[in-house]
Amino acid sequence: MSSIDSAFVAIDNEDTQKDKYLTFHLAGEDYGIEIRFVIEIIGIQKITEVPDMPDFIRGVINLRGKVIPVMDVRARFGMQARDYDDRTCIIVVNIDGTEVGLVVDEVSEVADIPAKNVEPPPRTGKSTGSRYIQGMGKIGEDVKILLDVQKLLFDEEMNRLMKRANDDQEQE
Amino acid sequence: MAMDIDNDQLEIIQEFVTESRDMIEQLEPQIIQLGQDSDPEIMNAIFRLFHSMKGSAGFLEFDHMTRVAHAAENLLDLIRNGDIILVSEHVNLLCGACDFAKEALEMIENNYTDEDMVGPADVIAEKLHQAIELAKAGGAETTAEPPAFDPTVEPDPDADAGLPQLEINEEMRQSFVTEGLELLQSAEQRLLAWGEKGEDTESIADLFRSIHSFKGNCGFFGFVDMEKLAHQMETILDRCKSGSPLNVDNPADSLLSALDLLQNAVNDIAQERPGLIPDLASSLNELQKLLPPMLGEILIAEGVREDQITAAVATQKKPMGEILIEQGAATPAQVNAALLKQQASKKTQPPPAAKPVARTATAQRQDIRVDLSKLDTLINLIGELVIAENMLIHNPDLKGLELENFNKAGQHMSKLVRELQELAMTIRMIPVSGLFRRMIRLVHDISAKSGKKVELVLLGEETEIDKTVIEIISDPLVHLLRNSLDHGLEPPEERLAAGKDEKGVLTLSARHEEGEVWVTVKDDGRGLNRERILEKALSKGLIEGDGSELSDKEIYNMIFLPGFSTAAKVTDISGRGVGMDVVKRNLEKIKGKIDVSSNPGQGSRIDLRIPLTLAIIDGMMVRVGDTTAILPTLSILEAFRPNQEQITLTPDGDELAKVRENFFPILRLYEILGKKPDSKVLADGILIVLEHQDDRFCLFVDEIVGQQQTVIKGLSDFIGNVAGVSGCTILGDGGVSLILDIGSLRESLEGKNLTKDANS
Repeated sequence: MSSIDSAFVAIDNEDTQKDKYLTFHLAGEDYGIEIRFVIEIIGIQKITEVPDMPDFIRGVINLRGKVIPVMDVRARFGMQARDYDDRTCIIVVNIDGTEVGLVVDEVSEVADIPAKNVEPPPRTGKSTGSRYIQGMGKIGEDVKILLDVQKLLFDEEMNRLMKRANDDQEQE
Repeated sequence: MAMDIDNDQLEIIQEFVTESRDMIEQLEPQIIQLGQDSDPEIMNAIFRLFHSMKGSAGFLEFDHMTRVAHAAENLLDLIRNGDIILVSEHVNLLCGACDFAKEALEMIENNYTDEDMVGPADVIAEKLHQAIELAKAGGAETTAEPPAFDPTVEPDPDADAGLPQLEINEEMRQSFVTEGLELLQSAEQRLLAWGEKGEDTESIADLFRSIHSFKGNCGFFGFVDMEKLAHQMETILDRCKSGSPLNVDNPADSLLSALDLLQNAVNDIAQERPGLIPDLASSLNELQKLLPPMLGEILIAEGVREDQITAAVATQKKPMGEILIEQGAATPAQVNAALLKQQASKKTQPPPAAKPVARTATAQRQDIRVDLSKLDTLINLIGELVIAENMLIHNPDLKGLELENFNKAGQHMSKLVRELQELAMTIRMIPVSGLFRRMIRLVHDISAKSGKKVELVLLGEETEIDKTVIEIISDPLVHLLRNSLDHGLEPPEERLAAGKDEKGVLTLSARHEEGEVWVTVKDDGRGLNRERILEKALSKGLIEGDGSELSDKEIYNMIFLPGFSTAAKVTDISGRGVGMDVVKRNLEKIKGKIDVSSNPGQGSRIDLRIPLTLAIIDGMMVRVGDTTAILPTLSILEAFRPNQEQITLTPDGDELAKVRENFFPILRLYEILGKKPDSKVLADGILIVLEHQDDRFCLFVDEIVGQQQTVIKGLSDFIGNVAGVSGCTILGDGGVSLILDIGSLRESLEGKNLTKDANS
């Protein structure tokens, strides 16, 4: 019966995680990602660079024996680079079993943003960033840019990156 | 009842299922042994099994199981008390009861009821009762009857056919496939041995059992075609077992081809197809042809009374040869020749006493089947434990502290962790014997097809290799053996003309060497032909120039190039030029190497050099600036601090290092990693000479940090494959270090993959 129990827990989690976003700062703006993807938040640590990667993949870190890649979200959006300091954090997310660390300037809080307070993403389509926006969340006067983690990690650009790596492999 | 089961009850049921299963697994082989010598100890153990199964099943209201267990218990009780004498059919029945119990347990595990087992339960219980009645009525008569007339064998198919059609779920099918393939494989080995050494009652009996239980499984699952074929095979084996003559001297080949059909059908089922056997009728006929009608059957047909014949059969102890001659199936000369052969082969066979000993030894070893992914998780965890232990013991916080007790405890823990790690590595290791045995069949088939006489010698079968590695080298081995047989070994006439024994010797061996496992395929055939390989390579445009400057080794290695084949004509065995490059590619996958050596006229030899494990390598840590990287120690030939005179700059801007008489190209690691080195002057750093598939080059690093056991971890799937890097490892200080891939480093020298941008 344990499977049913855990199913209940999952449902329970889903419920408490609904409409909750982990918010963080990035270049003066507030962003949020759905809390259900977040595994943990760790301080910045030594990143081992991996050759031949796009610049936003900073390298890999050791998370308690697991090797996970780290993506610099600033670099991902083509924002200006900034030195890491003691407020810089790595948000470890898990999407369908793939764990990736996201480097952000500063983590703020877990915020409750009900669906009715989320506006659809703006349709500018110009900047690299807007493609990854899930919506604009409003908390009182504040606006949080809600990111679509799935797209952030697995859009065509990432596919191209992986494909290129695989092509290299085939050549060998 | 199935609906209102609470948690407590569920736990009890699950415990019951697990326990019963363990007991059955343990006792089943003993039941079979019981047929050979009835040890009261074993008898009691089996009795207890059925007794406690009956008790527990009764308590949990699994009526059908209770019924069967009860009947089995009755039978055993009578045997135990000496009221009836155990015969082989009882053993079959008890095994049947075990099979039934296993199926019932499966059903209980899934549905918490055994109600659907009513059909099989009726059949088994009825059979057990009949056996008891029969034995009670005239135990002596039953036992006098040779086991060949085992009545339980015959009604099986019909009885099973009457069962309600069971729904076969995925798990059941899988276990049928695994078990079926195992049974068929063991049968195949015995058949092959039979084909070569002549018959041996014991192995025929084993063979019979394998086929019989396979038939039983097929019957249960309703695979009618396979069941029919297996049944026919069983009938033939039955005749052989009881010493009745067949139309051929040795049915092994016909049985082998039938076995192939069965294997195909099982594979069919594995792929969720119905497992039909094409042309079943003709296969059955083929086998039927092997069976002459039995003398008794003819006589009965002619009106002789059956009991008289049975008596006649019982007293009939004539040697097979005489019977054959009487029937005109063989001439006296043939029989004499066969007898001589038989005696000769008996001499070479090990003394029969050795066999039973080995059997009891294997019976005591208890194996469990474990999901491979669970095992991998365990091994990963242990790998992480090693890292965690390193991080703890060498924790920077402890630096400079006098911690006598802590150090002691730490040492103890390190030792335990090492042991655990070594043990974990051995878990994945399995002996190569299974892989090697499969080759017996291959060689048998090919030699039959090509008309070449071959003796396959297997050495070092007990050598253990990682399971994954075994899977990966299985195909390469097949290719290598085929090649040796097809291209290497000469036809008998040619061998005789060359003054060699008519029979070629093909040796397949495995052994530990230099921290690797070496699997060697060696033949005493004509050897590799340098000129022909060269000619071919030139005609295919695989090399530049006339190739005269190439060493033998370089030329031999060309057989691994894609699209290469030297066979003058393409046979259906080999010669299409695919294959050898597969060998190479598969080996590269596991960081293995191939060595080819050959002596014209005396044969060739191919060594597959395979790392012991895929999870840990011996690594050499090197440093460039503030970054460390790991090189597999196996690839390192030497390391030295160069002086300026050793370096030559070519007009193209390539740097070459002179090591003794050779010039090796230089690759700068900092360029690959995009790092800032301590110094860009070669004389300030270290050059490491690396070897990859006979290609050598130098890697320039700042310094060598040290050697260490390295637990390999993949870079995340998210990153995918990275040129120049094969994986990474976690260091004692918790940092991550990349493991360099020598093969792709070598390629980057040719400017294929890596962008050489020193300043990025």
